[in-house]
Amino acid sequence: MAKNDLQGTLDLLVLKTLAQLGELHGYGIVLHIQRASDELLRVEEGSLYPALHRMEQSGWIGAAWALTETGRKAKYYKLTAAGRRQLELAEKSFDQLVRGVRAMLRYA
Amino acid sequence: MPLLRRIANLFTRSRGDREIDAELCAHIDLRIDDNLAAGMSPEAARRDAMLRFGNPAAMRERVTAADTALLLSNIASDIRYAFRQLRRFPVFAVTAILTLALGIGATTAIFTVMNAVLLRTMPVANPREMVYLHVPNGQPYMAFNTGDSETSFSLPAFEALRQDRVAFSEVMAFAPLSIDQKIAVRTGGAAPEQAAGEMVSGNFFSGLGIGMARGRGFTADDEQQHAPVAVLSYAYWTRSFSRSPSALGQTMYVKGIPFTIVGIAPESFPGVESGAFTDFWIPLQRRAELNPWGHSPGLTLYGSPTWWCLRLIARLAPGMDAQRAVAQAIPAFLAAAYTPMGATDPKRPKITMAAVEARGVQGLGDNDREPMMILMALVTLVLIIACANVAMLIVARNASRQRDFSLRMALGAQRGTLLRQLMVESGLLVCSGSLLGWLFAVSAARALAAWSQLEVNLAPDTDVLLFACAVSIAAALVFGLAPLRTVTNAPVTAALRATQATSYQRGRAGGAALAVQVALCFTLLTAAGLLLRTLVNYQRTSLGMKAGQALVFGVTPQNIAGNDARFAFYRTLLDRMRSLPGVESATLVEVRLGNGWSNNDEPTVDGVTHSFDQVPLRTNNVGPDFLHVLGIPLLEGRDIEDRDTQTAPRVVVVNETFVKKLLPNTNPIGHQLGHPNDRPYTIVGVAKDSKYRSVDEQPRAMAYYPYTQTGNAPVTLQVELRTTGEPRTLIASAAQAVHGMNPNLSLEKPMTQAAVFEDSYAQSSLFARLAAFFGMLAALLVGIGLYGTLSYRISRRTTEIGVRMALGARRTEVLRIVMGESLRIACVGAAIGVPLALLAGHFMSSMLYGLAPWDAFTFFAALVGVAAISVAAAYAPARRASSIDPMQALRSE
Repeated sequence: MAKNDLQGTLDLLVLKTLAQLGELHGYGIVLHIQRASDELLRVEEGSLYPALHRMEQSGWIGAAWALTETGRKAKYYKLTAAGRRQLELAEKSFDQLVRGVRAMLRYA
Repeated sequence: MPLLRRIANLFTRSRGDREIDAELCAHIDLRIDDNLAAGMSPEAARRDAMLRFGNPAAMRERVTAADTALLLSNIASDIRYAFRQLRRFPVFAVTAILTLALGIGATTAIFTVMNAVLLRTMPVANPREMVYLHVPNGQPYMAFNTGDSETSFSLPAFEALRQDRVAFSEVMAFAPLSIDQKIAVRTGGAAPEQAAGEMVSGNFFSGLGIGMARGRGFTADDEQQHAPVAVLSYAYWTRSFSRSPSALGQTMYVKGIPFTIVGIAPESFPGVESGAFTDFWIPLQRRAELNPWGHSPGLTLYGSPTWWCLRLIARLAPGMDAQRAVAQAIPAFLAAAYTPMGATDPKRPKITMAAVEARGVQGLGDNDREPMMILMALVTLVLIIACANVAMLIVARNASRQRDFSLRMALGAQRGTLLRQLMVESGLLVCSGSLLGWLFAVSAARALAAWSQLEVNLAPDTDVLLFACAVSIAAALVFGLAPLRTVTNAPVTAALRATQATSYQRGRAGGAALAVQVALCFTLLTAAGLLLRTLVNYQRTSLGMKAGQALVFGVTPQNIAGNDARFAFYRTLLDRMRSLPGVESATLVEVRLGNGWSNNDEPTVDGVTHSFDQVPLRTNNVGPDFLHVLGIPLLEGRDIEDRDTQTAPRVVVVNETFVKKLLPNTNPIGHQLGHPNDRPYTIVGVAKDSKYRSVDEQPRAMAYYPYTQTGNAPVTLQVELRTTGEPRTLIASAAQAVHGMNPNLSLEKPMTQAAVFEDSYAQSSLFARLAAFFGMLAALLVGIGLYGTLSYRISRRTTEIGVRMALGARRTEVLRIVMGESLRIACVGAAIGVPLALLAGHFMSSMLYGLAPWDAFTFFAALVGVAAISVAAAYAPARRASSIDPMQALRSE
């Protein structure tokens, strides 16, 4: 999948990742998305951060600095209540999109 | 509250920046750690981390953008950045700001005056209902007026209009107490002083809807009973009573007649007199001493229904507009106007009436409006030049930063960010320029008011403020758009190239902008030249007299009843003046020469009446030795003399034009001039033509009557003293002598006779000086613009010139190239400017005196001026270009 096509779904992936794993830093989110998608989804790693900050400004995720297992300081993100609601909405609209696209493709 | 957090982020930018950096670094470090753990070499680990991450600088920008609302963001830092940039080039910043300040300031100052004179509504309740009533075609044939026929109404006409409650809810009448506005006033034990007084109808203050600052206004009873009460203006109360509340109830002597002060008008109300402040008001009076306009009792307000001497201002009835109100009121008005005239000639067109919106100064005809508009147009040209100049400065400076921009874009800066920074820089320039310009405008408007002797309230009001803001915003938009091209044109690759090709494209656009500026400058110089030559023509026009050696002042006898007593007073006055040391000779005259007023009459020569339309006769009533004192040459016969007393045979002196028009080819001495059914005057002398009302008048038939032989003794006479020295040194001794006759007396407007005539073209003189100032300003700005642009181009063509010189071009040729460029721009500019200037001259033709709007000398002078500017501006850059060392120029790239 080309990197630009991820734009619309990046928010959904990040929110889902945080919903699944709780607190996580940006690098961890990148790793999780790659692993959980069987390496099908590759994010240009830097482009994650504008999205994270935008979501933080929108109040969907909260952030705090903490130490990683290897002793480095990193910024950890976690889902807020608003973020949980946003995730439900985003999942629903993504489902609709997928169903719609699939229906299109199956149409003979 | 996401928005609040974004705004909060604006103020914690630097901390936020550090945090973002730390976060992104942590990410890369974590990736490197993993790569090392996977067995990569340190270099490969770092390289892989960077590749996966993408451009860190661009990412950081985007994260920052996400952190803050896009437009709000960075403004604080942009302003700081803009300040730093402007500080780095102080000459550029100061030039741009000063240029803008001058342009905006001059425009705002002129607009302030124009607003006060033409646009502003009166400071009264519901000002949009107020109209001045005018009679555009003057009075019924043979009715008397005050000399200001368009604004004058008769008492019956006023009464008729006042009755019409359908058209007008109120009609107020007012008339000055003196033709010169000022009359003698004394309060308490103080010395008499000159104050501007006006008599008004009882509904004056209530009809205008003005609440008194203190005390009361007038009532209908005050008018009916001609009550001896007065209302002071706030300014006069301040000046003469230091705002003491005890002024109310005090007695004030107006021409020696006691009035009780009953009220103080509010500070915002300067009166309704045109272009002058009123000091006090009294109700309409019946006494001859207080006749409106200080007119001699031959015509009185209540005794002469054919004398049109009242000015009217009316409040339209609710729902009425000016046109319908006039249509409604006109039948009754015409009846009242014509009834006192008796039988009228049905062939003569009936007079008309108009209601003019009460804005600005009343009674300004198109002749006064036009110069104001033209001045506004001229100053707008200056503003355009100033703005164009600053825009070019900005473009040129940004062009020289092109590489800087390219480099920043190559490093990941966004075009939007660059554009925003440039707009903030332009905005900063405009803001500083506007603020400075505003300060400049406030003081310039005050100076203008003092200079023009125009008594209008020039305190900047909201309209002026809005105007200045609009001008500034327009300027900000222009300069905001100027950087657009620079940024959109900046090619990213330019940063990587070692040299830049000279851009001829841009050169041509800059040249066109400059040519337009030169054209506007040429127009301004021509306008200034035309007005200056007009001024010189005024100054050089022969008055037909020796006005520089005569002192003139008015004297109004007080507490003297009866004609004989007044004649005796004038006789004594003349004797005392003649005996003053330093006075060579002295005379009296009723209408002060050169102050714009005149007496006019229909001549009846040897029993034949010539209509006024054919030969308008001007008259003046004068004392003995009149021609001698004023230095008007006597051509034939004799001057008016002491022997021409009340009882002596009636005589008159006429002028050359009178003889040419009415008694050609005969000896005029001994012929008779007068009115039908009245004893005629015998012509005893012929004087050379001389100026009467103003400098620019054409010669007219003129008759000088002895003031003793024209009926009533005048209310006021002007004393003319002739001396060999400086006339004004006589003021003190004359004042003492007049004071000695009656302590209530003072000299009214003492000045040299020459100064009176100079005042008659004061407006032209003011406009000429202003236009000259604008012209010089424009020349200076265009010069700076040319200099800046040429210098900039030379700096970009250093290599080219170096190559040319290396290939054998001589220094003079280089000099010629640069000079040629400047002159080419000037030529194109002049070519556009000539038709523009012709157009401007056409519009200005009413302001010119003694020359045509296409005056060749002026155009030639303006052309020379433009050429001089372009040569002067090109000289320094050309010298610099010709002294380029070819080797160094080639090496520098």
